[in-house]
Amino acid sequence: MRLLYLVKKEMLEVVRQRELLVLLFVAPLIQIVILGYVITTDVRNIPVAVVDLEQGRVSRAVTERLVRSPLFRVRSVTFREEDAGERFRRGEVSAIIVFRDPAAKGRVPLTLPEVQVHLDGVDANSSQIAAGYFNGLIRDVLAREVKRAGAKMPLEARPLIRYNPRLRSINFMGPGIVALLLTILSMFITSFSFVREREQQTMDTLLLSRLRPLEIYAGKALPAVVVGLVDMILGVAVVIFWFGIPVRGNLLHLFPAALLYLAAILSYALIISTVVSNQQQALFFTWFSLVLFLLLGGFFTPLESIHARAPGLMVLTDINPFRYLIKIIREIFLKGNGPAFFWRDLAALAAIALTLTSLSLLNFKRFISR
Amino acid sequence: MKAVEVRDLTKRFGRFTAVDRVSFSVERGEILGFLGPNGAGKTTTIKMILGLLEPSGGRISILGLDVRRKRSDVKKKTGYMSQQFSLYPLLTAPENVEFFAGISGLRRSEIRARRAELEAELGCGLSRLLVRDLPPGIRQKTALFVSLVADPELIFLDEPTSGVDPLARRAFWSTIYGLRERGKTILVTTHNLDEAEYADRILVIHRGTIVLDGRPRALLEERGAASVEQLFREAIRGET
Repeated sequence: MRLLYLVKKEMLEVVRQRELLVLLFVAPLIQIVILGYVITTDVRNIPVAVVDLEQGRVSRAVTERLVRSPLFRVRSVTFREEDAGERFRRGEVSAIIVFRDPAAKGRVPLTLPEVQVHLDGVDANSSQIAAGYFNGLIRDVLAREVKRAGAKMPLEARPLIRYNPRLRSINFMGPGIVALLLTILSMFITSFSFVREREQQTMDTLLLSRLRPLEIYAGKALPAVVVGLVDMILGVAVVIFWFGIPVRGNLLHLFPAALLYLAAILSYALIISTVVSNQQQALFFTWFSLVLFLLLGGFFTPLESIHARAPGLMVLTDINPFRYLIKIIREIFLKGNGPAFFWRDLAALAAIALTLTSLSLLNFKRFISR
Repeated sequence: MKAVEVRDLTKRFGRFTAVDRVSFSVERGEILGFLGPNGAGKTTTIKMILGLLEPSGGRISILGLDVRRKRSDVKKKTGYMSQQFSLYPLLTAPENVEFFAGISGLRRSEIRARRAELEAELGCGLSRLLVRDLPPGIRQKTALFVSLVADPELIFLDEPTSGVDPLARRAFWSTIYGLRERGKTILVTTHNLDEAEYADRILVIHRGTIVLDGRPRALLEERGAASVEQLFREAIRGET
């Protein structure tokens, strides 16, 4: 019963801070929509210059496909390589596709033209994706030409993409954004909790009240759990109804994962709240931790890339609870899997939650007795 | 049984000794003025008595209860008002009362009664304002009300009149006398030396040791001092 009064007080303090309310509920919704559109690995409207030295049927077929594709925007079709090169240097186009005339080179005439693709490597990621698009398109035209000639391709691989057949980036990012929402708000509320009591000089009064230390601890964590879960539900709704991300699994399976995750990050945030001297420091530490969680949690880049480039950092990803939550959310949303498939991630989350809660309680004991 | 009994209380922070074998007692129904310059060890002593700080040595008992062993029983018998009035600025005064009454384990009917009592005292207008928007005098009144909400036997008031006007200060002391008449024991720390005369007994701490202890009138007569301020200065000088 005493705990309820503390929870009510915490909620009233949250509700009475208009700026914090905006931070808690409006900002995340804006974030989720913006992040959904901005954080994407899809590459569209790649400006292309076509240099058609061959002027044959195949080069025309490829150019037509390029014009029709939403992935490319053909800026010019020219017969002079120098013109296209100039536009490339000026940044007006980020790709040049050159169809050479084999006969003009004095070679033995070929049935198909020699095709060369120049890509702007400044944005390495986009260039790699664009190269993939070009290869696919040219392979497709090539297959048609072979078929037209009455022959068969000696080997043909047709990838079958499952779980996200249209390869929509948002399908990958959306569940991550839900995890992000769950993290941001609950962590900020909690990391401010004890340090605010200390700044207001109310911590001693709380400790002198009849509340037991464990009740104080729980009273600080519970409001953040409620806010976190509400935000998660809002995030799930936006991801499903706004971005049209399919949900193939049972959304109720999200809750045990979310609760274990909250136990882990709120314990961590409570440690921050007891070691910092003021709310500004709490803000800085929380923000810094959040960036690490995202970078080492597979939000932007697959964990395999981290493993390949910096294997030493994998230790940090292994103890990062965000990594497991994001994986579980993606499993539920995109693959329709249940706990039988992600129990290892749940177990890892539980182990991290248990460790951080124990550390946080020990730290809290030290904090109240100093 | 004494209200407070402190024996050889010591607190060391590394090599620095903040409180050095301090001993004193407070009678039940007494108002004790606890004086001392900044850094004298006043707050450290109070925090150890309240159980907020672990002593390096010595013994403390409150109303016959050992503070270290019977902390939860001690909590039930004590009230505390801190220097900054310790109220939640984003709650109204009645909400603060409700919160502190609630965490003190009062029954719902008692909580409602305490809340209504303060609302009646403040009036409708002030009751609706958030504490951050209240004048210092009203905040002080609310903080005192909050420290008394669970009807404690022993009340600790840390700089209770700092930042409030003389009228509010006078009203505050009349409330304190009313509490004494009801048999409450009050320990007040203050910087206002003229206020120390209102106390039944004063205790001056300097550099971690007690340098003066006695009833203000008796001390003034005994030492031929014109005011408590003069007594205070001489006590400190004697130790310097």
